[in-house]
Parts: sequence; C-alpha cells; structure tokens
Amino acid sequence: MKMGCLNGTTISLSCLKLAFPSYPSSFQNLPFRRTIKPLSAAVQTSPATSPSTTKVEDQGARSHWKAAIDFKWIKDNKEAVAANIRNRNSDVDLELVLQLYDQFFNLQKEVERVRGERNAVANKMKGKMEQFERQRLIEEGALGTQLPLLCLLDTRVLHAGKNLKEGLIALEEDLLKLNDKLQLEAQRIPNMTHPHVPIGGEDSSMTTKLVGSAPEFSFPVKDHLELGKELCLFDFDTAAEVSGSKFYYLKNDAVLLEMALVNWTLSEVMKRGFTPLTTPELVRSSIVEKCGFQPRGNNTQVYSIEDSDQCLIGTAEIPVGGLHMDSILAETLLPLKYVAFSHCFRTEAGAAGSATRGLYRVHQFSKVEMFIFCRSEDSEHYHEELIKIEEDMFSSLGLHFKILDMASEDLGAPAYRKFDVEAWMPGLERFGEISSASNCTDYQSRRLGIRYRPLEAPVASPRKSKSNLAPPQFVHTLNATACAVPRMIICLLENYQQEDGSILIPEPLRPFMGGRSVISRKS
Amino acid sequence: MKMSCLNGTTISLSCLKLAFPSYSSSFQNLPFCRTIKPLSAALQTSPATSPSTTKAEDQGARSHWKAAIDFKWIKDNKEAVAANIRNRNSDADLELVLQLYDHFFNLQKEVERVRGERNAVANKMKGKMEQSERQRLIEEGKNLKEGLIALEEDLLKLNDKLQLEAQRIPNMTHPNVPIGGEDSSMTRKLVGSAPEFSFPVKDHLELGKELCLFDFDTAAEVSGSKFYYLKNDAVLLEMALVNWTLSEVMKKGFTPLTTPELVRSSVVEKCGFQPRGKNTQVYSIEDSDQCLIGTAEIPVGGLHMDSILAETLLPLKYVAFSHCFRTEAGAAGSATRGLYRVHQFSKVEMFIFCRPEESEHYHEELIKIEEDMFSSLGLHFKTLDMASEDLGAPAYRKFDVEAWMPGLERFGEISSASNCTDYQSRRLGIRYRPSEAPVASPKKSKSNLAPPQFVHTLNATACAVPRMIICLLENYQQEDGSIHIPEPLRPFMGGRSVISRKL
Repeated sequence: MKMGCLNGTTISLSCLKLAFPSYPSSFQNLPFRRTIKPLSAAVQTSPATSPSTTKVEDQGARSHWKAAIDFKWIKDNKEAVAANIRNRNSDVDLELVLQLYDQFFNLQKEVERVRGERNAVANKMKGKMEQFERQRLIEEGALGTQLPLLCLLDTRVLHAGKNLKEGLIALEEDLLKLNDKLQLEAQRIPNMTHPHVPIGGEDSSMTTKLVGSAPEFSFPVKDHLELGKELCLFDFDTAAEVSGSKFYYLKNDAVLLEMALVNWTLSEVMKRGFTPLTTPELVRSSIVEKCGFQPRGNNTQVYSIEDSDQCLIGTAEIPVGGLHMDSILAETLLPLKYVAFSHCFRTEAGAAGSATRGLYRVHQFSKVEMFIFCRSEDSEHYHEELIKIEEDMFSSLGLHFKILDMASEDLGAPAYRKFDVEAWMPGLERFGEISSASNCTDYQSRRLGIRYRPLEAPVASPRKSKSNLAPPQFVHTLNATACAVPRMIICLLENYQQEDGSILIPEPLRPFMGGRSVISRKS
Repeated sequence: MKMSCLNGTTISLSCLKLAFPSYSSSFQNLPFCRTIKPLSAALQTSPATSPSTTKAEDQGARSHWKAAIDFKWIKDNKEAVAANIRNRNSDADLELVLQLYDHFFNLQKEVERVRGERNAVANKMKGKMEQSERQRLIEEGKNLKEGLIALEEDLLKLNDKLQLEAQRIPNMTHPNVPIGGEDSSMTRKLVGSAPEFSFPVKDHLELGKELCLFDFDTAAEVSGSKFYYLKNDAVLLEMALVNWTLSEVMKKGFTPLTTPELVRSSVVEKCGFQPRGKNTQVYSIEDSDQCLIGTAEIPVGGLHMDSILAETLLPLKYVAFSHCFRTEAGAAGSATRGLYRVHQFSKVEMFIFCRPEESEHYHEELIKIEEDMFSSLGLHFKTLDMASEDLGAPAYRKFDVEAWMPGLERFGEISSASNCTDYQSRRLGIRYRPSEAPVASPKKSKSNLAPPQFVHTLNATACAVPRMIICLLENYQQEDGSIHIPEPLRPFMGGRSVISRKL
C-alpha cells in the first residue's frame, strides 16, 4: 500500500513538478542525475522522518522538513492569495515570500548554469584526446578523479580549476539556505478559503442549521460542576494538587459515561465505513508542524517532552494525518476513512475566564476523531458527509445545537472551510462548541507528502511519457470530532438533569451502560 | 473527607511524632509554638503540593518534599534494615543515613538550646532595667538571633541531605519472600495448561499483520520505535478488554476512575519512582515540573495525598483506567518484540488504601481477582512470589502473574500485585484516624481523637492491554489465522466469537 518517495529519481522529480511547476523540464534535461538529488530531496519532504533514520529521535535533532508549496500558483494568483491572507487575519508577509521565491528562482538558474559548465567539461574529458588538451580541460574542470594527472600540474592551474567546483558548492549552499528561508516564510501562508465562507471575525460565522430546542426546566437548573459534585463524578481539587489546575479525575458513573460515549461513537462511526484506530499520543514535533500546528513558542498549545523531539498530541488528527505520510496511495484505496480514539493533551496557554469552568476547557481529555483522505474533487462531498454524521449523532442524543459555517478569521491555517457544532448547555446558559469538521484540502498533504496516483493517465500528455503512470496528485484531508468526551458529558449532565439531581441517560447510550437509564446519587 | 495537614499545630506535631518518635515530647514542651512551625513543616510533606500553591506548576519549580521516615525505628532495628538492604540488592547507605540522623539529632538539640536562650533574653527584656543593661541584652539577643538563623539553615540543609539518603532505603520485606535474584522467585500457583496446536504456531506480530491489527512501521516514522497504532478489530479488542475488566472489578466493590496522565514529578517520587536521571522510565514535560504517568498507581496514590481519612472509609478500593507512558530506557532484546514492551499502552489498575493490619489480606484479595480474571479468559499462567532482589523499593511483597505466550514460546509477565505497606503513604502523607482512642493514654489528651496512623497501599494490574492482546492472539489462534474470542469478552465485542481476515 505504501510506496516510498525515495525509491527513485522519477518520483522525486514528479514530486518536484508539483512543488515547482516551472522547473521540471529544465531539471530533466540536466545530464547528471546524481547531482540533482540533493536538491530534489531538499525541495520535498525531508527524509528525516523515513524509517531508515528513525534513530535521530534519540539525538533530539529537529528534523528539517519542506512543504511542497506551489509557489508558481501563488505567484500567478498573487491578488487572490493576498486577499485571502487579509481575510484570514494572517500576518504572513506575501511580498517577502515572493521576493524570496524570485531570488531562489534566479539562484537556481545560476546553479544550473555553473553545473552545466562543469558537466560540459566533464563530458569532453570522456572522449579520447591529446594529453595536452586533456590537461587543459582538467585545469578548467578540476576533476577529482584524475589525481595522478593533477599531480603533474603546477599549483596555479590547480587553483584555477578548483574555483569552478568550489563556486558551485558555495552556490548550492546559498541555495539551500535561501530555500530554508523561503520555506519558513511560505509555510505561514494559510490555506485558501472556500468561496461560501463568511469573511470576518467570529461574529460573522453563519448558522447553517438549528436542531431541536432548549429543554425547559420546572426547577432551578444546575451546571455540570454542581451536578457532578452531588453525584461524585469528578475530582478537580485533588487533580490540582497532583497534576495542576484544569486536570481532573472522573469517578463512578462518569467513568462509565465516558466509556459508553466512546463505545457508542466508535460503533456508530464504524457503521458508516470508518476504520477504527488507536494512535500514538507522543509524536515527533515535525509531524505536529506538518499538520499545521505550532509545537514551539510562547503560546503553544503543545506539551513537549524534555530532551526529545517528541510532543503530546492535542488531537488524533495528528497521528492519523501521519498514517500515510510520505507515500503515494493507489486511487482505488480512496477515500480512506478512519475513526480514532485517543487521549488529547493541551496546555491551554492563555485560556481564562468563565468559559473555562469545570470540564469545558481542560488539559487532558478523551476524544473520538474522524479523518478522511480523499481525491481532491471529493473533499467537499466528504466534508458534508462528516458534518452529517456529527449532526445525526448529536440529534440522536437529543441535543439542541446549531451548525456554523465558521468565518474566515476563525479558521486555523490548514482549514479551507470549517463547520462547528455548538450545543446548548443549560447550566452554563450558553451554546458551547462540541465539535468541529474541517476540510484542509491539500494543505496538510503538501506538508505530510501524501499523494495518490490517478488510475487514468492524463488525456493529453504529448511529452515523453516514461511510463503509463499518471503523475501523483496530493490527496485532500478532512478531520472532524465525533465525540469530545468532556464537552459531551457537560451536555448530557446539564440537559438531562432531573429535579432530584439525577441524570437521565439518552436511549442510544443505554446499551453501552449495561441497560441503565439513569445516573443517580449513590445510596 | 479530607482534612488538611496544615490546619493546626496539633496535627503537625502528631505527624512529627510518627516521623521522629523521640522528639515529640521535647517539642511539645517548647514555649513558643509558632517558632516550631517552620521546622515541623520542613519535617513533613512540603506544602508545595497543597492547593494554595498550585501556581508553582507554571514556574517549573521542583517541589522539595519530605518523607515521614521513622528514623528512630530504623536506628533501633539497624541490623534488620541492613540485612534487608543487602537482600534487596539496594545501594542505600545505611551507615551514612544513621550518621546524618545523629548529626541532625544533635544539631536539632543545639537549635533548641539557642532558641531557649534567645527566648530567655527576650523575656528578660520585658522587665524594667538600666539603659546599659538593656543595650547589652539587645546586643546579646541580636547575636543569639543571628546564630540561630545560621543554625536553622544548617538544620534545613542537613535535613535535606538526610532525606536524600534515607529516601533510598527500600521498604522492609515480607518474611515469606524468597531471598535472592529473579531465579529465586517462587511459583505460588500454576493454572491451566499450554494449548496444543496441530499447526505451526505464529506469534502475535505475524497474526496481527495478517489480520491488519497493528501498524508499528508507520508509528516508528510518526513517533519513534516501539510505538504503534492499533487497527480494526484490535481497537475493539482493547475496548472489550477495558470494558470487561472494569465491569468485573467494579463487581468486587472497586470505585472506577479515570486519572490525569500528567502529574507533578514530586508525586511520581512519592510513589517511589525516579522521574529524573539517566535511566529514568519517566517522560518529563519540557519547561514544567510535570511528568507522564507510567502507571495509574501514581495518580491514584495521589488521590488522598496529604490527608487524614476516617477509619470508617477504609478500605478504599479503586479501579482506574489510564494510558501509561514509559521511556523503556535500556530495554532491548527479543523480549521487547512487538507489543511486549512499548512506550504507550492502556491499563486498568487496582489500588487499595487500607489499615495496616489488613494489607496482607487485601494483597491476597488482589491476586485472587487477577487469577479469577485470567482463568476466566482461559489463560495458562503461574503466580510468582517475587524474590527480594526483584522488588521495587516501595514493595513489601510482590506477586507477579506470568502467562504462557505460545508464539513467543515463553511465559511473559501480564500483571503484578504489590503490597507497599506504609512506604508510599509516608511519602504521600496519607493517614487515617482510628475510630477508637488508644486504651492507655496517660499523658495530656487534648482531644478524644486517636493519633492518626499511616495507611497501607496496594496496587495490582487488572489488565495491561497489549500484553493481554499478545496472550489472546497467540493462545486463541486457529489454523486459518483467525482468533477465537474467549466467552467473557464476547458481550463486549457485539456478541462476536471470532476475529478473522477482512474480506
């Protein structure tokens, strides 16, 4: 199922084609494949994450990876990209990116020119020629393999010849550095935005659907903290001593409720053809970055492991996104639909206020996450499917909720479009986010190096086609919360509270709680 | 339910009494209770872990805690403690501990003497006197005060040093524990027999590959070696194991929990694990004092930290589900193949807080629960009374269960039940107040309350998921590569009886 990106020059070059559409023809005409390799490797995903080099893990080395960003497209669509950057309230410097790109482009040409000169000299050397001519060429090309002959030359000639090679090495180094700089800036460019997405801040988000109605209570309503306290469901105080604030123990029926929610959610989503997974919860920081999260910096949401390059995942989206990293999938395998259960860890740096009470914003929680890899033309369809699954599940639990088409400024960099579900929380007296479904189009796949090979070759391919294979395309990725357990516990406790402080269990969960229909005070 | 240790001097002093039995009377006779406070606080669990100072978390401060070690008892039982240290192959330096303790004891006396002098001077100052006499007293008081501050600092430093050395002393050992290395461990029980196969047996890695149950290769790229994804029916098998185990153990009266998986490193230390150092098994969080738990034993042990429980609440029995994280530094070899030794796994853990006189009884109960569960899954296993050198520092006695793994062609550890007596509770500060006051208490009894005692703690694996998956796959493999699901798990896998190849 998995094809390494590093199997041969063909794949490296075709990868390059997608990243730098304007280069491939000149690249393919270059005589020495081997000299291209370091460059093509630099342009695509770094091999630091390939199995052969997993040992870097222990050295704590930061892997240096490259996103396959389509600079040509960005240049050709400069106005649209600039408008998108403004709409998303991003602080990325597009002018700088384009400047760096031009510099890179020109330096690239220069490198090719010098390399061509050197190769031309090397080619001439291969033919039979007079000893004198041969020596003259060596002076020009300084071929390292001709050591015995070089010994005959005086130092002045040797230096002149070396210059060409040294010049090339210096140029290539500059090119790598420039590419690093270009990547650093360009990786900050957010994904483009779906034309229907409302432009603006949080208030501009558009409610696309409202389901159910708020339950009415004939008694004073309690919030989940009060209900949980009476029913001995949580322990925040001890967790604050043992771990820190915003940690918690779940106790008694809350544990069973969590298990029921996870079991029910997995079984519902599996019915719809998703493959269940559990995932590593420690991942290399490069994977976190490639998924569009920032594992470092002052306000990072990511816990990092000391003396290691590993982080705790904030969502299973990260390890599931990494599942097909650096691979080319057969088109017949798509769509790949996964449903993953994991614990999630977030520093919640900077979060404060009443919205963070109780279980609403916590450092650790259980979550069931859906993830789809699909062909680019199918991603909008699957985005609708994901939000429909969420809607069906929350409806069947009898929740009152709305679906929002999130405004441009509220989208994370990877999202092309994001639907949030906000459910009514009677105790907190407001709607609160319980899930989110994002279409990331090719933003993550260009970083993770996930492509597929279309079955049919492109109709018009007048140029030399070495094989019958169509060139690989980047997949689209989508992710969506199936069940964020603590938020769901808030909803269930607050919406299904009874006058006596007990909690009615919604029908669908009962088979997963041993047939019980109520959570009540321990006798 | 919870009574803070810091409520008043009474509790602080009684705590002290347990820690330093020889001091209590002299302490209680000292005139100024307030001046004792800093000392008594230093002798017991540091308040750094109390709710009032939870903000230290963000400053990455290492909390400086003290174990309530019974030095008097150690001194009085020097030979037994020394023999125990030898038997457990511990490198604790008992002579150094006793030396430091004597220093501490003497310095303590000196501090008390100087403090007494200063108080005497202060008292004298209250009366009328010549200006010159007053000046002399002021000067004397000042000198005494400066000397006292220096002495008290020395005392704190000495106490730190004493704690550092003394905390390395392992728990005492149950008299029935076999003395020696791993080979001396004694089989207590052998259950069932190895299944016989009429076809070539596969190991769990091969079975899992054919059934698309794991992905180690991708996890190696995404996370590192010894990480894995569970896929397809392996996910359902994990859920079934966890659900079944929780329901079985809850039937026995255990309270279910999920726990924080990040905890302060001080809590890890208090449970007897080493969160720092070269060969630590513990993942630490960067720029923080938090660690990932290697077992739910840690957060569950912390559940009643720094508290005095009512005797009527005991025993407290918990069953906790958590993910566990271990660096497995230094682990290598064939025993680490596949799911056997991994960096992250799901585990259901039992934990009991009880009165000292009951811990042996509950240790038997815990191993019985494990045996019952593994029997009902039809596993072939043996229960071992682990030899002294194989016990971790906190354990007084440890029973391991090793199950037959036909693919690996050996017995492999699937669970462990330890009685830690008061080793952890003396570090975590978990005591209970006996309902009845001691019969003979001739001295002044300020209250009718009996003095608090340290509880005993016990922990035992109910289900370490990956090891159990190894057992189930390898023992229940069929000729066609499918896996029979044992009866008890079927209701938790939608009634299914077999895991087979996907069509």
